[in-house]
Amino acid sequence: MRGNVSSATTAWLLIAATSAALVTGCSRSPGAGEDPEGASRGTKRIILLTNGADPFWDAMRAGMQDAERDFDLASAKLRTVMDVNDGTPKGQVDRLRQYANQSDIAAVAVSVTDAKNVAIAKAMDECQRSGIKVIAVDSDVDRKTSRRSRFAYLGTDNVVGGEELGKAAAGIRPQGGKYATFVGLKGAANAIERIEGFATGAGNKFSQVENLGDDMDLSTAMKNVKDALDRHPDIDVLVGIWAYNAHAIAEVVKQRGIRDRVTVVVFDAAPKAIGHMADGNIDAMIVQNPYDMGYRGTRLMKALVENDHDTIHEMFPAYDPASHSFSEPGGDTLVTGLRVVHPDSGSPLKADMFAPSTEFLSLADFKKWLASHNLSGS
Amino acid sequence: MKASPDSAGLLGRLARGHSNELGLLLAIVAVAGLTTILSDAYREKPLQNAEEILRQTSLLGVFALGAAIVIISGGIDLSAGSVIAFSGSVCASIILALAPVDESGNAITSDLGVGVFAIAIAATLVVGFLIGTLHAWLITVVGLPPFVATLASLVGLRSLARVYVQEVTAALTTTGKTTQIYVNDEAFSRLGTEWWIPLCIFLALSLAAWLLMSRTVVGRHLYAMGGNEAAARLSGIRTDHLKWLAYCISAMSASVAGILYTAEVGTANPQVQGRGYELNAIAAAVVGGCSLQGGVGLISGTMLGVLFLRVVIDAVAKSVKVGADDYEGIIVGLLVVLAVAFNELRQARRGSRKQFFPGALGLVAIGILSLGAGMLATIMAGRGAGSAVLAGTLVLLGAIALVERRRAGDRDAGARLS
Repeated sequence: MRGNVSSATTAWLLIAATSAALVTGCSRSPGAGEDPEGASRGTKRIILLTNGADPFWDAMRAGMQDAERDFDLASAKLRTVMDVNDGTPKGQVDRLRQYANQSDIAAVAVSVTDAKNVAIAKAMDECQRSGIKVIAVDSDVDRKTSRRSRFAYLGTDNVVGGEELGKAAAGIRPQGGKYATFVGLKGAANAIERIEGFATGAGNKFSQVENLGDDMDLSTAMKNVKDALDRHPDIDVLVGIWAYNAHAIAEVVKQRGIRDRVTVVVFDAAPKAIGHMADGNIDAMIVQNPYDMGYRGTRLMKALVENDHDTIHEMFPAYDPASHSFSEPGGDTLVTGLRVVHPDSGSPLKADMFAPSTEFLSLADFKKWLASHNLSGS
Repeated sequence: MKASPDSAGLLGRLARGHSNELGLLLAIVAVAGLTTILSDAYREKPLQNAEEILRQTSLLGVFALGAAIVIISGGIDLSAGSVIAFSGSVCASIILALAPVDESGNAITSDLGVGVFAIAIAATLVVGFLIGTLHAWLITVVGLPPFVATLASLVGLRSLARVYVQEVTAALTTTGKTTQIYVNDEAFSRLGTEWWIPLCIFLALSLAAWLLMSRTVVGRHLYAMGGNEAAARLSGIRTDHLKWLAYCISAMSASVAGILYTAEVGTANPQVQGRGYELNAIAAAVVGGCSLQGGVGLISGTMLGVLFLRVVIDAVAKSVKVGADDYEGIIVGLLVVLAVAFNELRQARRGSRKQFFPGALGLVAIGILSLGAGMLATIMAGRGAGSAVLAGTLVLLGAIALVERRRAGDRDAGARLS
């Protein structure tokens, strides 16, 4: 309990010096916060705060980087960075509060982990009070209670996305059947909306037997698929709601050799999911356009920072620059497109089964689009 | 010339009695000072940053105090994260049950009276007491090692909380089973978000813990039990009762933290709430000077240990800007190892010289430490610096090992001669 004063103090100062060296070293490390070496003093950051870690965000980051180049953010003393949340609402609240206490952040795009969580909305308010421009991408706040916590939302209409996925299942299996849904966090707004949309799109010939969450753990995701198949051997359709669920489902289906009797439909086109579709283990993918979210989101954030009302009005025609408000209830939402991707041969799916605004692509055509943007997934 | 005892003065005596705390305090000032130089944020928004660090320190500190008392008494409590999740779920579910309902039958949790919160908080603390009692029973009566008993709670309580929340929401809402309970009351939210409220709770609990450990017979018995349980029992101390007390304090402090975290995020979500927090609490206690072997540690040290960890974590966040949590683990891990090694060194000075790199194990350890230092330097400053640090560490530790072996050889020769 007691020690020699000089030795204890010296030791702690040594520990402090080590901490200081680490802090200084981390701040100067090449990979720290994607801080380019040439980032000049006075440059402010535009941050994309994800809800968790997933290859899905790589496509959005690619869109942000292209927008950074195309809209010349450097000359406006702005640069883009991505901050990966740990999947928890608290992680997102802590990060947002940290941003509010920083002095070099111009704008933040948040993929809201939990729409109903008031604390996240409040932390977004705190950022706005600190002069940071805030928008929502991919997953929005609760529009009834927290609309003012962000300027606008860019992303998929998840209910429509779910409906398109349901239509794909119905198109492949018109006789209907039993289905199970697999997702990271069951409480996430986009998960709830997609699952609701799936039920509507699939129609009343389908019935849900399981909805399993894996806390964003791939190992648990695979175990969930196995457990669902063990509990309900008569499952006909396996539905992946978040990007990585596709791999978990396809891998288990392959291991168990049940591909001939189950239909696999999934959200997003993670690199592994693309490989599984090429191998014949996935029947349909509903693909969002995170690249477009990143690209247009960056353009919007730059316009907000610079008070460029013309650009804002071009992106959101309902925006009134004089009153800084939207003239229509849904005017603050910019829906980015959806795509249905089907295998190159043998798919019963047809373009007219889906909404006219949804692009209908074969896997080969989709791969060409990915290659044109130097992406491995979307 | 020797200084007389009087000339050393009160400050000198205080410094001798609390050398570890004084060192920690200096370390905190040093790291905060460096961050102020490195980052504009501390200079431009000093008050907001100080408030946020104190708020975060208090939230972690509340249950680190409980962890410290268990460690001092010679035990370990791995369940804090799950107790936080379970307590948060219990608190939110009681609020949900007592809240008025709207026309569709769903609870309105946005404007509740003080009575609702008082009942929910009191019931949650009772749950904490019951969890602590269960741990004490498993350890003292069933005979499970503390590690196993609290590990079972770490795994089981979170799972129980997940099932509990789904059953509660199915019974009390019209939306059916959901995985989380929302509490939207503004006053409740302030418990976790207003910086001074968690701080006052932390200071009050710290004062109570300090009085218990430093000014009561029970506190001295806890130190005695942690130092040597068998000797304490033989000298008439009722060790089973002391363990009951220690584990109840730990579980109840985690329950308080569960209430504060639920208030902070406005949600009880046992899937993710408090995940891994038990290790943060143990790390804070160890950095604050508690020995995992028991019998050593101070409440003031634990308080400063928590503050030091939060200051360093915030310094990383301010300096790294984005993705700071990628580095957080490296730094906290390194600080824990340094703090424990420092305590070992201090103890070694009092007794015989300790050999850190004996035999083949020591040689392999030198290789691992050198590689680790080299990797860290490569991440921070590039490949050239990494190679230099790797080689330098290898030479330095190799030299230490050589000196240690020569001294050990001399001691053996001396022993043979005598």
